[in-house]
Amino acid sequence: MTEVYPPLRQPLVAGDKSLADVTQEVCAPLERRSTALWWLAFLAALSLLALGVAAVYYQVTTGIGTWGLNRSVGWAFDITNFVFWIGIGHAGTLISAILFLFRQRWRTAVNRSAEAMTIFAVTCAGLFPVIHMGRPWLFYWMLPIPNTRGPLWINFDSALTWDFFAITTYFLISLTFWYVGLLPDLATVRDRAKPGWRRRLLAFVSLGWNGSYRTWHRYETLYLLLAGLATPLVVSVHSIVSMDFATSMLPGWHTTIFPPYFVAGAIFSGMAMVLTLMLIARKVMHLQDYITVRHVDAMGKIVLATSCMVGLAYAIEMFSALLSPNPYEQFTFLNRAQGPLGWGYAIMVTCNVLLPQLLWLRRFRTNLAAVWVLSIFINVGMWFERFVIITTSLERDFLPSSWADYAPTSIELATLAGSFGLFFTCFLLFCRFLPMIAIAEIKGVLRIGREGPAVEPRDPASAEASALAGVSRLDGNQGVKP
Amino acid sequence: MSETKTATGGGPSRREFLKAAGFTFAGALVGGCQRAPEQEAIPPLSQPEDIVAGRPSYYASTCDACRAGCGMLVKSYDGRPIKLEGNPEHPLSRGGLCAAGQAALLGLYDRLRLQHPSREGQENSWEEIDRDIRDRLHDLRGRGGLRVLTGTVTSPTIQASVTRFLKHMRENGDFADAKHVAYDPLSCSAILDAHERTGGSRVLPRYHLDRAEVIAGFDADFLGTWLSPVEFTHAYRVGRPLTGDPPRSSYHVQVESRLSLTGSKADERVCVAPEEMRAVLARLAVAVARQAGAPLDAADELSPSLAGFCDRLALRLWQARGHSLVLCGSQDVPTQVVCNFINHRLENYGATLDIDRPSLQRQGSDRDLATLLHDLDAGKIAALFILDSNPVYDLPDGEGLARALRQVPLVVCCAERLDETARLARYVCPHPHYLESWGDAEAVSGVIGLRQPTIPRLGETRPVIESLAAWAGAPKPAYDLLREHWKDHVLPRQARERDFEAFWDRSVHDGYAEVDPDPDRVRPKDFNLAKAQAALQAPAAADRGQTLVLYSKVGMPDGSHAYNPWLQELPDPISKVTWDNYACLSPDAAAQLGLGDGDVVRVEVRDGALELPVRVQPGQHDRVVAVALGYGSIVSERFAGIGPPWLEARPTVGENGLVGQNAAALLAWEGGTLRYARAVEKLTKTGKKHPLALTQTYDTLTLPAHLAPPGQERRPLVQEIGLSRLARKPAAPPHEDKPADLWPNDHPCPEHRWGMVIDLNACTGCSACVIACQAENNVPVVGRDEVRRHREMHWLRIDRYYSGAGAAVEVAHQPMLCQHCERAPCETVCPVLATVHSDEGLNEQVYNRCVGTRYCANNCPYKVRRFNWFAYAHEDKLQNLALNPDVTVRSRGVMEKCTFCVQRLQEAKIEARLRGEHLHDGEVQTACQQSCPARAIVFGDLNDRASQVARLRDDPRHYHTLAELNIGPAVGYLKVVRNRPDDGEGQRHD
Repeated sequence: MTEVYPPLRQPLVAGDKSLADVTQEVCAPLERRSTALWWLAFLAALSLLALGVAAVYYQVTTGIGTWGLNRSVGWAFDITNFVFWIGIGHAGTLISAILFLFRQRWRTAVNRSAEAMTIFAVTCAGLFPVIHMGRPWLFYWMLPIPNTRGPLWINFDSALTWDFFAITTYFLISLTFWYVGLLPDLATVRDRAKPGWRRRLLAFVSLGWNGSYRTWHRYETLYLLLAGLATPLVVSVHSIVSMDFATSMLPGWHTTIFPPYFVAGAIFSGMAMVLTLMLIARKVMHLQDYITVRHVDAMGKIVLATSCMVGLAYAIEMFSALLSPNPYEQFTFLNRAQGPLGWGYAIMVTCNVLLPQLLWLRRFRTNLAAVWVLSIFINVGMWFERFVIITTSLERDFLPSSWADYAPTSIELATLAGSFGLFFTCFLLFCRFLPMIAIAEIKGVLRIGREGPAVEPRDPASAEASALAGVSRLDGNQGVKP
Repeated sequence: MSETKTATGGGPSRREFLKAAGFTFAGALVGGCQRAPEQEAIPPLSQPEDIVAGRPSYYASTCDACRAGCGMLVKSYDGRPIKLEGNPEHPLSRGGLCAAGQAALLGLYDRLRLQHPSREGQENSWEEIDRDIRDRLHDLRGRGGLRVLTGTVTSPTIQASVTRFLKHMRENGDFADAKHVAYDPLSCSAILDAHERTGGSRVLPRYHLDRAEVIAGFDADFLGTWLSPVEFTHAYRVGRPLTGDPPRSSYHVQVESRLSLTGSKADERVCVAPEEMRAVLARLAVAVARQAGAPLDAADELSPSLAGFCDRLALRLWQARGHSLVLCGSQDVPTQVVCNFINHRLENYGATLDIDRPSLQRQGSDRDLATLLHDLDAGKIAALFILDSNPVYDLPDGEGLARALRQVPLVVCCAERLDETARLARYVCPHPHYLESWGDAEAVSGVIGLRQPTIPRLGETRPVIESLAAWAGAPKPAYDLLREHWKDHVLPRQARERDFEAFWDRSVHDGYAEVDPDPDRVRPKDFNLAKAQAALQAPAAADRGQTLVLYSKVGMPDGSHAYNPWLQELPDPISKVTWDNYACLSPDAAAQLGLGDGDVVRVEVRDGALELPVRVQPGQHDRVVAVALGYGSIVSERFAGIGPPWLEARPTVGENGLVGQNAAALLAWEGGTLRYARAVEKLTKTGKKHPLALTQTYDTLTLPAHLAPPGQERRPLVQEIGLSRLARKPAAPPHEDKPADLWPNDHPCPEHRWGMVIDLNACTGCSACVIACQAENNVPVVGRDEVRRHREMHWLRIDRYYSGAGAAVEVAHQPMLCQHCERAPCETVCPVLATVHSDEGLNEQVYNRCVGTRYCANNCPYKVRRFNWFAYAHEDKLQNLALNPDVTVRSRGVMEKCTFCVQRLQEAKIEARLRGEHLHDGEVQTACQQSCPARAIVFGDLNDRASQVARLRDDPRHYHTLAELNIGPAVGYLKVVRNRPDDGEGQRHD
């Protein structure tokens, strides 16, 4: 799948690397001892994870009562965290599958870690539906397993059942897709490894990759097919998650706009999380040449686009609620914006709609520190979006006699922290033990083997500017030749 | 979290593992064996007649939770009572039983109830105690007085025993002035004293609310706590049938200083300060006298609006003379005399007030009590027998009384629990719970209730009459004493039965006997108008400061119920607070002091002070601070550990280690009676916080102003209609029974379709149904902190909504339970089909299938589903005897909710099938329906067009709450009707 780029095109990898440089640089972190910084981060993440494990252990042994839920608010932190993490995952699939199909070559630098992020995020997400149950040890009752419990079966009318299928499907496809993509790189690492258990293990997990034409051919076909398979999931999974709410009859949940709204929100939050992670990783793992300003710029545009979609959804939701003849619906939305959790709504609108408008400015998009700070705001804002949707609707529904406020307990806060601990622990382990960048793919976008004259050296600022111009004008549909 | 060897790194060897496994298994076996004692597992050789294992028996008895003497049926399984229900045939209560009455069941199985007699805290045998007491009495002869202190004694047998004992002491014991003193923790002494003045005999009239067309209540919470609420609620309901053309309903005016349950039902409610009460009554008396053509002159210092109100009311009363009733709860004798005068002028005596067959529910005399306290202080008393009462708790200056009691040479206390008084007594002689012993009660002259034991005594207790007989030197079993008294004194008072055994058997079977009034009673003389005139001239109090009003709560009639977790967790029907007493302040008064719910305020009176959390209470007079009695009892110590223990749990008890605080310390003596209202010296904010455990935090149907969609400020959940409008309205066909639906009904109910209709006009909010449901369905008690976190478990709650503002607030009560929707939102969302629809229209919850996603509760628009946040079941073997064996005790992590008492439906269907008949309408009653004193709940088969519930569905007042959601609730409501003279379209909720 090598392509030839027109001379105007800026390189996707800076630093004029040779093929060996790429292999060397990407594999280096795996082959040397961990840095102090890595250990520090890892221990911090591990502590959070331990805190979360302790909290979940306590909650499972003592009861859901250790959460701040009540007779009116049956879901709050648990499902908020679930939707949040599922949303995070979506960016990974978008980058690895959809952008692959659209031949967005810049994705090669970030797709591996984005996919890893997807898997870890879905793992975190999957935790919550299980532990939020009153009797989590019976979670397998949600599966349609033939059983001896009489004519008991699951309820295919329930959105929670669809949810269960959607998430497990998503997790399996994502994992397979990621693993298949890893195969050539695992083989590379295998070949570099000294004889010993590590090499034997790598030999096993790289499934006997031999680099032959036939292997490559099968690999490319499988990868393309998996990308095709994963693509609808980007839309379907979060649509189904949104149906947990949309198919209920609670004002504020029962909204037809939810599926597209949630998908846009998921990609939005996922991209923000990718930015958060990549911007740190490129610094810490010395990958500045691979994850360049150009990548950040491209992702910034996606963030901006999805932010506008989310903003539109907020506006339409409010508009149609106020226009509707349903007084309960009207009240719910007024209450959402101005009620006891109005501050949460303000955070959500500020972080998700107002602040991302800064991305219209190229200067902002290319300022990595600023983008990183913005990505944190978006993460916070998107968490609050789910919290506000779930909690405000439950706190004040039909009968005023049952209105009840919700406040999280220490156990819930610890569980949320623990999910971040799990995520970062997994991610740090990934950075340490697997190639963070798809070596085989990135080699395909190097200049090596291309026709045409090299770009004349120019001063860095204008080079960057023209590179950005190239992205916006030409990227994706020009100059692709077999 | 046991430490195992794996922690040390070695890991258990195979041998160790097997050893551990073996021990665990053996341990489980041994543990399992202990649960069923073998000696009781052998069935009796000859089966007792009428007792079939697993089938309940019902015994008629009489409630003893208060002195109202309601009839009840004791539902008993395998020899253990599990539920108390109203006796539908009882002439007073007519099938109702209040919350406190039903909750008294827990008293029977109370682990901390006294089981053995004791001397100075040491367990002892009855023989020794009796000998000791007799010896002490012998030693003390001539050294001072002897008194028997009791509450009101309604039992003729106990009264006779006391009389016999005192006679014996006077004649043989040299206690020349041996006397019986009766007092009431909630005294009505002034009513009796006033009748003594105006009629010559100290009686409490029996009030017939059913005969009254106009009822005027003056600080008398007769539907809530006053005298005999169940009897009054039933009678009140009878007086408001809404049948006929035009629909008939009594007209009820309530004049009060704080918002009582009775006030919440009134057609017209006027809020006046407590000290104005006498002036209002005086003005009313003048106005009534003017109507009667015999004008009076009296001082008049009322505001024009109140004076106008009195004149209007006087006219209404006069027009209905002979069918009107003025009730007054004041403890001021002149005020009561004025009330008597009004009733006399209105010719109500003999019509709506009966003093020939008076009520015996309150007989206490504050004057006698004051004399006794004086004698105690003066050290004149040598022997004091305290029978079933707790004066140290009930009376002001309990500490002073305690000091005085310590000086008395002989104090004997017959008590059920080690309460404040029993702790001071040298001899504590526990008497059995009334479900374990024989007894009787004549609550109203001519109606004598009988009590029979329904379970063998759980401890070495002895009935009071047996103890008195033993100390008088003539020991006899209570059964014999009771039968003798009935044979000699009750049998002659009736003519129906000649044979005593037949009379006795019938009375035991019925639980009561209707007889002639006691011939020995003093007959009332003619009405003494002069006394009334004098009372009218009495100067009225002119206090304009804050007044402290002490009242009793529906769920906590007095301190003797403080042990009861069901009652402690029962939300007050007005304030919706559980587990505490608090200082009610009107919204304006609270705002003035900068106080909100849960802020601690210091209430100071002349000789005492209390620090209490504030509850802002609309409908209350601005100059009133209202505090409930019955809290802060030492027996509530036990609740220190109630509720699930976890990291952030807070204790149920307050800083004093008790539930609430004893406000009886602030009672005042004035004019010879105990006063429940007195001046507040100072009211100060302390800055402390004590968050209240509320079950309802938003109080109105009106949405917050800044969040209300225009035109939709009020939600039409509780609907009202004026009486005149109801008269004009033709019987409209039901409009919502056939909703437009795209899909065919996928839940056909071929045989039965169960449904319920709740008459919101009849419902007073008394909460008897809440306790009935709790008892029937094994609903757990969760403790104060859990309620504060909105996790109360009641399957049936009563929503209370205010409309209007300030003192002129109006109240609506709406019992809310699972509506068993035809197209139930909870059913579609459950992923594991744990909640499903039955072919009888029930929405069923399958506990053992539930995995606890709580989606059903989120999707329930009525929010009636309850989740087991913790494992609430606990191993209290005695208390667990109260559990209903027909209902599962739910485990942690599952959802639960009202089942329409499905266990009762099944039982009734099985019985009908055994008889080979169809189930008749009314044959099956839900627990809430059974005990409702107002008969507000009707349950039945909607498929049976002739059933009462199906007919009520066609009532023009019928509506469904949230009908617009088209989910087809099986529970309907009948609109509230307000009988207002100037009622136009005044339905505020419509």
